[in-house]
Amino acid sequence: MRRWVALSAVLLYAFLHAPLLVLALFSFNAGRFTVWEGFSLRWYEEAWRDTRLIEAAGNSLWIAAAATVLATVAGTLCAYGLWKRGSKPLMSGLAVSLVTPEIVTGVSLLALFQWLFRYAGLQLGMHTVILAHTGFCLAFVALVVLARLRTMDRTLEEAAMDLGAGEWEAFRRVTLPNLAPAVVSAALLAFTISFDDYVITSLVAGVDTETLPMVLYAMARRGGSPVVNAISTGIAAVLGAGILLSEALRKRA
Amino acid sequence: MKRRSLIVFPALGGLAGCLRTGRRRLNVFHWSNYIAPGTLPRFERETGVEVRLGTYESNEEMLARVLSGNSGWDVAFPSNYFIGPMRELGLLAPLQQARLPRLDGLEPRFQQPVWDPRLEWCVPLYWGSSGILANPRLAPAPERYADLWELRYARRITMLDDPAEVYGAALKKLGLPLNAHAPEQLRRAHEEARRQKPLLRAYLNAEARDLMVAGELAACQTWATTAQQAMIAAPHLRFVYPREGFALYADCGVVLRESKRKELAHEFLDYLLRAEVAAEVASETFTATAVRAVRDHLPVEVLAMETLFPPAETFARGEWFEPLPPAAQRLRDRLWTELKAS
Amino acid sequence: MSRSRTVAVAPAAALLIATVAVPFVILASYSFQSRGAYGGVIPPWTMENWQRLADPLYAGILARSFLVAALSTALCLFLAFPLAMAITRGGRWKNLLLALVMLPFWTSLLIRTYAWMFLLRDTGLVNTWLMRMGLVNEPLPLLYNWGAVVLGLVYAHLPFMVLPLYSALERQEPQLLEAAADLGARDWQAFWRVTLPLAAPGIRSGVLLVFIPCVGTYLIPDLLGGGKTILAGTLIQNQFTAARDWPFGAALSLALMSVVLVLLWLEARRSQEALL
Repeated sequence: MRRWVALSAVLLYAFLHAPLLVLALFSFNAGRFTVWEGFSLRWYEEAWRDTRLIEAAGNSLWIAAAATVLATVAGTLCAYGLWKRGSKPLMSGLAVSLVTPEIVTGVSLLALFQWLFRYAGLQLGMHTVILAHTGFCLAFVALVVLARLRTMDRTLEEAAMDLGAGEWEAFRRVTLPNLAPAVVSAALLAFTISFDDYVITSLVAGVDTETLPMVLYAMARRGGSPVVNAISTGIAAVLGAGILLSEALRKRA
Repeated sequence: MKRRSLIVFPALGGLAGCLRTGRRRLNVFHWSNYIAPGTLPRFERETGVEVRLGTYESNEEMLARVLSGNSGWDVAFPSNYFIGPMRELGLLAPLQQARLPRLDGLEPRFQQPVWDPRLEWCVPLYWGSSGILANPRLAPAPERYADLWELRYARRITMLDDPAEVYGAALKKLGLPLNAHAPEQLRRAHEEARRQKPLLRAYLNAEARDLMVAGELAACQTWATTAQQAMIAAPHLRFVYPREGFALYADCGVVLRESKRKELAHEFLDYLLRAEVAAEVASETFTATAVRAVRDHLPVEVLAMETLFPPAETFARGEWFEPLPPAAQRLRDRLWTELKAS
Repeated sequence: MSRSRTVAVAPAAALLIATVAVPFVILASYSFQSRGAYGGVIPPWTMENWQRLADPLYAGILARSFLVAALSTALCLFLAFPLAMAITRGGRWKNLLLALVMLPFWTSLLIRTYAWMFLLRDTGLVNTWLMRMGLVNEPLPLLYNWGAVVLGLVYAHLPFMVLPLYSALERQEPQLLEAAADLGARDWQAFWRVTLPLAAPGIRSGVLLVFIPCVGTYLIPDLLGGGKTILAGTLIQNQFTAARDWPFGAALSLALMSVVLVLLWLEARRSQEALL
């Protein structure tokens, strides 16, 4: 049986990674289709020259950065509060946020914004997208940080406070350093989720907020030129490098 | 503390992003597949206005965004059969014809169109038809919509992912008018569509173009514009106007009622009516335009394209899409869901 | 202490109320209203949208979504076991092996699904190879059908099944298997009667983590289904865009959410501590 397990595992790893590797490989294909015609960077060049793409990428980065910061701060604080004293409604709220299918989150937020705008005269735009992203990243951050907090010793903070530290100081100097790797992991998770989101963004985006996944989706739907391969590989490479880097730093810490 | 600065900088950046460069802006909501690269930059250069472009792939997508009355767009380009509904929903601003001097440059057939006889609401700009794109190398090209129900094309055809087009084709196959909407008529068309579904590879819009060029499909229902783009990439492909009849649609520029820049919007629409501008769009994106003088500016190869300029007898077989009454619309929506679920 | 704790959870609570609670209330109110002639939500309060859910057409689509989700979950479970078991035997490579499983997850779903479009097309890699190796004469229709959708779902969610399964298996003591062997059990028997039952909590977590997203999936059937398939997610999206029937879409969304919440609640009751 050991051999079966090993064999299936190898095949499954191949299954998991093959599509992306193939995509990456063919992003360097000089030809348009799946016939290898030589190595070429033309699709990367084409992607680089597409201003709409670059702008969308910029939007995505901006939204992801803002949502990550907001969600990480709110989520970490929330996890900390829950660690000190649990709260069933809050935990349920986080759980509901987590399990809601993306399409339902998207349409419910769309309904919210449309309803608000009838009374407040605002419009869909960058702020609505950032709010939406912060909302759905929050639960991920809170739960990752909470899981880590639960492995930590609560008495350490109490000891620090007994020694005269204020509450905030105790948190900052005792808990937070230990927690930092988990916070960073959570932030990275939030960034990835926000950057990659298509379904929710497409529903709540406004005039100025075309994001990279929206452009990619339109290109994929229009038949997918190898430019999509190039962009996908680029994104995967950058994010993958980021993950590996953060893991390396975490091991070091 | 470090965390605080992490909040401050993005917040400042956000504020900075909110302050625009001070130029006037125009937000244009346009179809994704036929914006010529030079059109907007030239308008920007001439007027000093910054144009923000958004695109959509279907009328429904456009309407869904614009429906709130607060979308931020100034100009949109619905198809002719959406003009009526949008007008009734109060989404359109009446056109100030004084600001559109080039309106009489339109082709005669577009000067008093059925859907807006006095051009009070829209400016017909681009038009086209839907029909069959065929690959004669893979199978004899179909001549009628009815051919797309033949077994010899099994699994090598696609239809458009649009209830109006699919049921339209079925109605034409049955010899009924394109816009027939009595319940029994729609149900008959639905039955035909159901019989066809197992033969289809998929319901695809622009995706089918690449599949045709790659030689994966023998035929597909598609728009003339898309077909012409495919034919440029693969000259052996042929576009066929089905013999039973086919759908015509015209994409018209409208000014949205919510727009706070109506004069600028009119200026933009008038700009699009210019012969050179229309000619550029036509020759770069292979879309037929409604401007008469465009023929003087187009290269010979483009003028010869039947997809853009069908001969009169062919054109006579086409029917303009019309909006459905609400009850028929709901029936068709439900039938469409049934079709997809079957 | 209590006051600063309130301050700590306040931002998150506000966000949750704004982005979860209030939208759901609005959806609920929409679900009892009517659709305007060409779209929009207008007053006549009605139960019609909820009654439509009993219509065999829509109930059938919801049911099909559950079936597809169940099938995908089962396949995920079947495939995840060997992976998780292999990782537990990885020795010092364990972390790397785990990271390799998670790595595809960090790539966007859109990209991963597009990769399958690229592979499964008639002119895609799989067909090109099959034909070159002479196994088939014509390209196989691998894309734009239910098979492609299930494949996409399994592919996208496999990492979520592997992780909890691995956690559960990791906690088992190897001595148990040795004891079983001593008592005369063969490999497969030991697996079936020792390993599997003890992995039950991990199986339950994994099943939930996969089933729930699969039920509400939208992007994967949209790209891989070729418009020939319609699942709950597609139907809901359709109501809010093309069909412009927001009230019905709201009813559908809430119905889907109710099922998800019931599952969640059942699982929360079964496990002593909080699910996550």
